[in-house]
Amino acid sequence: MSSSRAKIVAAVRASQPAPLPLPAVPEFTGPASVADFSAVLTAIGGRVVVLDGLPQLAEVLGQLFPANYLLASAMLPATLPVTSDTPIDRLAAVELAVLRAAFGVAENGTVWLPEANMLHRALPTITQHLVLVLDQRNLVATMHQAYAQVTDVGGYGMFLAGPSKTADIEQSLVIGAHGARSLTVLLH
Amino acid sequence: MSPANTPTHAGRSELFLLDAERTTWHDETLWFVRQKRDKAVYATPEFQALRQLASDIKDHTLSRLAEYLEQFEAAALANGVRVHWAADAAEHNRLVLDIVRAAGASRVVKSKSMLTEECHLNPHLLANGVEVIDSDLGERIIQLRDEAPSHVVLPAIHLKKEDVGETFWQHLGTEKGLTDPQQLTEAARQHLREKFLAAEVAISGVNFAIAETGSVVVCTNEGNADLAIGLARVHIACLGMEKLLPRLSDLAVFTRLLTRSATGQPITTFTSHFTKPLPGREMHVVIVDNGRSKQLGRPDFRASLKCIRCGACMNTCPVYRRSGGHSYDFTIPGPIGAILSPNIDMRKHASLPFASTLCGSCTDVCPVKIDIHAQLYKWRQVLAAEGMLPASKQWSMKLLSRVLARPALFKAGGAVARLGLRFVPHGLTHAPGYNPWAIARELPAAPKQSFRAWYAQQPDHV
Repeated sequence: MSSSRAKIVAAVRASQPAPLPLPAVPEFTGPASVADFSAVLTAIGGRVVVLDGLPQLAEVLGQLFPANYLLASAMLPATLPVTSDTPIDRLAAVELAVLRAAFGVAENGTVWLPEANMLHRALPTITQHLVLVLDQRNLVATMHQAYAQVTDVGGYGMFLAGPSKTADIEQSLVIGAHGARSLTVLLH
Repeated sequence: MSPANTPTHAGRSELFLLDAERTTWHDETLWFVRQKRDKAVYATPEFQALRQLASDIKDHTLSRLAEYLEQFEAAALANGVRVHWAADAAEHNRLVLDIVRAAGASRVVKSKSMLTEECHLNPHLLANGVEVIDSDLGERIIQLRDEAPSHVVLPAIHLKKEDVGETFWQHLGTEKGLTDPQQLTEAARQHLREKFLAAEVAISGVNFAIAETGSVVVCTNEGNADLAIGLARVHIACLGMEKLLPRLSDLAVFTRLLTRSATGQPITTFTSHFTKPLPGREMHVVIVDNGRSKQLGRPDFRASLKCIRCGACMNTCPVYRRSGGHSYDFTIPGPIGAILSPNIDMRKHASLPFASTLCGSCTDVCPVKIDIHAQLYKWRQVLAAEGMLPASKQWSMKLLSRVLARPALFKAGGAVARLGLRFVPHGLTHAPGYNPWAIARELPAAPKQSFRAWYAQQPDHV
């Protein structure tokens, strides 16, 4: 415990004004349909495919990614199995990761990916292509309902909205900055 | 004195304005970003209610900041996170270097953090033999060029694709003359991937820190923070103390506001919550004051600490858009920078509160309702009281207040000016040395009579 800590906390306490109230946040809601979610996610560079049912997963993946990609997944037979102990050079070889998303948010096309579903913390960003499988009953309208679902933030977790992108060169949008070059959400 | 070395915003702007075509591009591009913001904002029915909530949550948090800092620390420690406190930039840099050294590391990858820019962390690490690579594409471009960011969200907005092509040709070995953003980004991806895989330590900034859970939240579009932190053994999060929020659920308000205000996106691609390190790994949070507790104690300027660094005030500012971020010569440029900087060094940044038309557009778009233009006006009063106005302004203001306080003198002065403007040659009335206002403007034709004389002639005058 450093001496700066005491000094800083004392300085803040001396400077802060009389307590002001913490507002309650109303439950702003809105539409939570597959159509809304898909429209926003498509607009921000993602792709949405609706499955007839989960048993169709392997077949649809084969159509979407005909190349024989090195696959990391807990939902399908993996050609490159990944755990939290997988060494970095193996991890860097992953071409396609298929992971389970917990729920989706219609207002911004984002999905919640908890650590437990990632296999490795770096897998969602190191893979060249990312597929997230989402039960369409698990769509909520806004971020207010989304955070209400996150009862345990865990060690690590992310809201993910579309593929990695940048517009740092003259504001030209480029998909695939550092993370996955494509993001597909498979709804079932 | 060359414009780059002049100590004023106006002087430095001259350099930016030399290239008229580029200035116009800069102006129009940022205005386009502002328009994207408007589109996203108007599509969110409760946006104004969210702004008020965000403002109130921030006001509340600042009013109990000491308690929230203690709560955050306790929660983070319970999560296995190591918490450090830095009173100033030097202590922050020392702490970060100590952590890097204790880890036996020499390769660091850093994602976007205005705080580490503020503290000048990179030069400190480099001087001590630590390789530090900025991993955000825009930040990497300016790092290779040895420049400072010119915008909080779009750090390389002052550059054209030809500049980036030239830089990548020099440093990354791309083909000379390459200007395609897609190909340039791919070259950076390959170059940075090597750095990600090799880094032992990942440094990140913090967008929001949650007191109740001890989490730090990092927002990026590129995924660079997540990739680096997911691979490196040690994560150091550098946290400006004003980034605290009480509850996890408060993030709903702020994530809905941040990117809609910044770029018009509905949310950043990655909104990542770092709460606990994995077994065998380390997570450190360095909590930094560096003048923030002092600003908290200034009632007129405390609200500047509510800023969430969206950059909306820059995109909308008619002065920022036409003078560029480097003309501010401060880590945070634009209207918000102009109210933060005098707290750090009043004399050095004395010209920044004058780099504004006081039009109030910054205040209108601010997602946390900071009264930016009112604070700009208040800083001007403080600077005048401290005797930090330029001599010409001080002298002319004094003269003007004397004249305005004496109606007879005002009347006589008006008569002299009307006559003078008619007969004194243009070269003299518009001489840049005497009349800087007229450097790029024409004075209107002098009226033949004063308003008072005209009013007295009106038939229904009583």
